[in-house]
Amino acid sequence: MTLSNHAIEEIKALSQRFPEIRSAVAPALDIVQEELGYLTPEAMSEVAGLLQVDPGYVEGVATFYTLFHLEPIGKHHFYVCTNLSCMLRGAEEICEHIRHRIGVSREREVSPDGLFSYEEVECLGACEFAPMMRYAHAYHYELTPEKIDALIEAARSSSSTSGRAAAEEPESQEAEQRHVR
Amino acid sequence: MSGEREVSLLPEDLRGSHGPARHHLLTSLFGTPDLHRLAVYREHDGYRALEKALKEMTPDQIHAEVKASGLRGRGGAGFPTGTKWSFIPKDVPGPRYVVVNFDEAEPGTCKDRYLVEHSPHLLLEGACIAQYAIGSHQAWIYIRGEYDRPYHMLIEAIEELRQAGILGPCPFGVDYPLDVQLYRGHGAYICGEETALLESLEGKRAQPRSRPPFPAVKGAWGRPTLLNNVETLANLPWILRHGGAEYAKFGVERSRGTRLLSVSGNVQRPGVYEVELGVSFRHVIMELAGGPPPGRRVKAFWPGGSSAPVLPESMLDVSTDLDELARVGSMGGSGGVIVMDDSHCVVKAARRLIRFYAHESCGKCTPCRVGTNWAERTFERILQGKGTIADLQILDHVQEALQNGRCLCGLGDSAGWVIMSTMKHFREEYEAHALRGECLAGECQVQQKVGAHA
Repeated sequence: MTLSNHAIEEIKALSQRFPEIRSAVAPALDIVQEELGYLTPEAMSEVAGLLQVDPGYVEGVATFYTLFHLEPIGKHHFYVCTNLSCMLRGAEEICEHIRHRIGVSREREVSPDGLFSYEEVECLGACEFAPMMRYAHAYHYELTPEKIDALIEAARSSSSTSGRAAAEEPESQEAEQRHVR
Repeated sequence: MSGEREVSLLPEDLRGSHGPARHHLLTSLFGTPDLHRLAVYREHDGYRALEKALKEMTPDQIHAEVKASGLRGRGGAGFPTGTKWSFIPKDVPGPRYVVVNFDEAEPGTCKDRYLVEHSPHLLLEGACIAQYAIGSHQAWIYIRGEYDRPYHMLIEAIEELRQAGILGPCPFGVDYPLDVQLYRGHGAYICGEETALLESLEGKRAQPRSRPPFPAVKGAWGRPTLLNNVETLANLPWILRHGGAEYAKFGVERSRGTRLLSVSGNVQRPGVYEVELGVSFRHVIMELAGGPPPGRRVKAFWPGGSSAPVLPESMLDVSTDLDELARVGSMGGSGGVIVMDDSHCVVKAARRLIRFYAHESCGKCTPCRVGTNWAERTFERILQGKGTIADLQILDHVQEALQNGRCLCGLGDSAGWVIMSTMKHFREEYEAHALRGECLAGECQVQQKVGAHA
């Protein structure tokens, strides 16, 4: 078994929320990804078993939507909008700067220390604050190289001074509430 | 996940219309401290329209007000809302649903996020009114997965409504159960298309359905379903409080009321502006959004999201009237106004948008799946300085093949319009890139073709 009992209970509870159990497939994959960081074939099979659908069906759903990761990503993953409104305000330079700072040559490549990766994504619907990105369940607006540096620095120090769990707490709880500029 | 999470906004979040103005039907209260709290929203007449609907109006009377308002859908298609409502069958037993399209993903569009972040209850009140109006007891809000803050704000707001009994078996003491549930998307532009959204809600790959049957008859989980955009529903409280006729006093001809325009790109004050329909894009871009940076000129603007055919600077006086936009070969779309100044290259911008459509094509219909990818590869060649006259002919051919209802949904058409409209208005930039390896805007670094100037 790949999934924790907690995750399994959550997935079972999901099926009650919808008129048909199939609707729970993608939300169940959210739970898996939250726990494992990405979707492994074993975890997808487990979801299929829990929701009584075919494993291939679950994989079909997982491969359709861009928010599901089928390969490992960095512990800190930047979703950088590069669509037109952000491109016109410097998104390409932001991506270039991120690649340089985290030491990768392309999107979705994980930095050697396993801490960072980034992804160029389509419009995130915060065009009035372009260029922007989503990181740690929050939007980060009007990006500059300096802001990127500060975020990377904060992520590095939180990872080195404390354990994994402690490092993730401040991000997911605090940053989720407030969009950081 | 309940009351513990205090979600708050900062003053900087108010980048757009807020505060009272004659034409601020949606945004007049934006900026009021804690407007996202039920108590504050109710202090400002919040849920009075729902209470009035439940206690004093029949569903037919609500329909009549919506029809009288002239409201048209604010998601992209601009279909008359009252007419859409009338497609819902009246006499089918069993559940029926209101599905709120909050999958805002059209490039350049951020108005629904702005609306919900500033006033989540405005959307929820509209969604409740719609339930009552079509005989439904359940609304589903399909919210794009990346919208974390709006999602948490809606969770809090729904929890407040449950505690206050406004969601539940007996809202305002009336025996008419109401409920709202949230469903988070997982990253797919196609889910903004209503039948793809329903597929997604049902737990499938989001590929558009063949119609008929239409969602009004056979929608979510096979039940009659009304799908409306966030902003469309958010207009209902005002319309019920003041009357449809009063709403119709705003706007022009067949474009009534106000709408939210998200203005982005090369302008000095990007933001979400509520305007009375009929004002010109010159007003929106040059006055509200402050025009391009000093020393720059507007080169082009997309008036309604990236799917709306681009217009050149010479057409800034075109109005926001949906029908006028259609007459000049574009459309009002999602209200996402993307402005590009003269330091940027049209071919590069078109390439970026085509890459978007190629990425987001769901793969179901061949012209769209093949055409968008073919176009993308052609753009890559041209921008790498490897283009020829044949590549321009390919783009001409592909844009035509993408259009005219050859696919189940409009995604392919949108991609075709990007190519068609940019080539129509900026042909010389394409030719310079493809034939001479030259970027007229001076933005792209391309290899000059040997002998190009001979």
